Amino acid sequence: MDEISVNIKHVSKKFRLYHENRTSIYESLLGYFSRKKHYETFQALDDITFDVKKGEMFGIIGKNGSGKTTLLRILSHIYQPDCGSVDIKGTIIPVLALGLGFHPELTATTNIVQSGTLLGFSKKEISDKIDDVIKFAELEKFADVKIKNFSSGMQMRLAFSTAVQVDPDVLILDEVFAVGDLNFQKKCFNTIMDFKKRGKSIIFVSHDMAPIKDFCDRAMFLNRGKIDTIGTPDDAIASYVDYLGKQNI
Amino acid sequence: MTSIREEMWKTKGILFNFAISDLKVRYRNSVLGILWSVIEPLLLLGVLFVVFSTIFKFEIENFPIYLLLGLITWNFFKNGTSIALGSLTNRSAFISQIYFPRAIPGLSAGVTAAIMLITELVILGIFMAVLNFTPSLTILYLIPIFLLEFILILGIALPLSVLNAKFKDTEFIWGVILQAGFFLTPIFYQFDMLPETARNILQFTPMVQIVTMAHHVTLYGELPSVNSILYAIFSISIIVVIGYLIFRKFQARIVEEM
Repeated sequence: MDEISVNIKHVSKKFRLYHENRTSIYESLLGYFSRKKHYETFQALDDITFDVKKGEMFGIIGKNGSGKTTLLRILSHIYQPDCGSVDIKGTIIPVLALGLGFHPELTATTNIVQSGTLLGFSKKEISDKIDDVIKFAELEKFADVKIKNFSSGMQMRLAFSTAVQVDPDVLILDEVFAVGDLNFQKKCFNTIMDFKKRGKSIIFVSHDMAPIKDFCDRAMFLNRGKIDTIGTPDDAIASYVDYLGKQNI
Repeated sequence: MTSIREEMWKTKGILFNFAISDLKVRYRNSVLGILWSVIEPLLLLGVLFVVFSTIFKFEIENFPIYLLLGLITWNFFKNGTSIALGSLTNRSAFISQIYFPRAIPGLSAGVTAAIMLITELVILGIFMAVLNFTPSLTILYLIPIFLLEFILILGIALPLSVLNAKFKDTEFIWGVILQAGFFLTPIFYQFDMLPETARNILQFTPMVQIVTMAHHVTLYGELPSVNSILYAIFSISIIVVIGYLIFRKFQARIVEEM
């Protein structure tokens, strides 16, 4: 169980905060000639190093804007880090806060096929799994309904079901349970536990401390793009709560 | 470069998937659905035919077929590039949620346009049958001509998709270019009708050569001239190389900049 599946070394990421929103060529030209600096850099992540072992559930906590989502996007190759290395063994699937990037004008089934193809599955593998995905998400009645008519909870369920049916080696969950009802949450946690048993890694971001405490093996507290604490969930939560307490004074 | 190509190979299934979903989204909420890809060019054909055969009295042999072929060839280019234009921006939710090679939306726009081309070619066939026109075997050269055009479309689609994600102006500039291109390409007139100075300049544009070649092999049973082929290949190679360089410069950070 000590094999490492996610290995992040010295990852940093800067963003440019554009103060006047320059998105047209004319504005760009004007800005170029005026030589005024039109953006400042914002260090979203600063020298992040950690690893996640196989069969481990790793929690990430921190305030809004502390770099959690940026980190997850770097893990899932959506952003490129400025420096440092990201090494992931096997397939990785991010279930970020808004779903799996479903297209609102397409039906649930079409979207499952699209996401499945994107994740590298063949037509046959996908068509074998569609029914399971729909069933797990409890969306049998809505299989041929366009996503734009789904509630946010339904979208989330569909995203989660698609992700787990694809059976990735590393699963990223960002605020996934904020929208699901209690029954579905329970089902999700059962699935996650099963994932763990089979030696898969889970990276879990939540503002709810209870699941972090109950399910995660280790946790990390991110503070303004830097690692504040990394260790047992209790330690990480303690220093997070401590930090929040200091801020409120 | 190799890594981009390797990634592309792994996710090639998505190319067709995107192309199909592009079509579905394009004709959503329309009663006639995909039939529009046929009706639209036919209506335009009707308008152009009336204007140029009865009002301007152009005397071009087999004018309906000449016109339809020109329109179809131009539409392939217009559809491919204009779908590519919005291919990344329309998927902004998608690309910030899940990773896939950034070239795929642009390239799949070319595939979408190719599917539309095939439906339009069926119409051309029907027209030929109705008008009792038998093309000579040289019509088979349309295949390499359309392939060449396909490469041109991809070479423009890639940079357009990333440029439009970064600069919204691209959309408007490209609209004007397409409009100008429609009039400067021999779709409803013959290239020889233009003054010599105009011809000297316009012969370097790939679409002029492609449309001219398509007319030659279909209507006159002639092989394209060596000049046409060389001009077309030369201009298309330059466009593809520059297009790829632009794409490569912008693609990595496009999600963050959008």
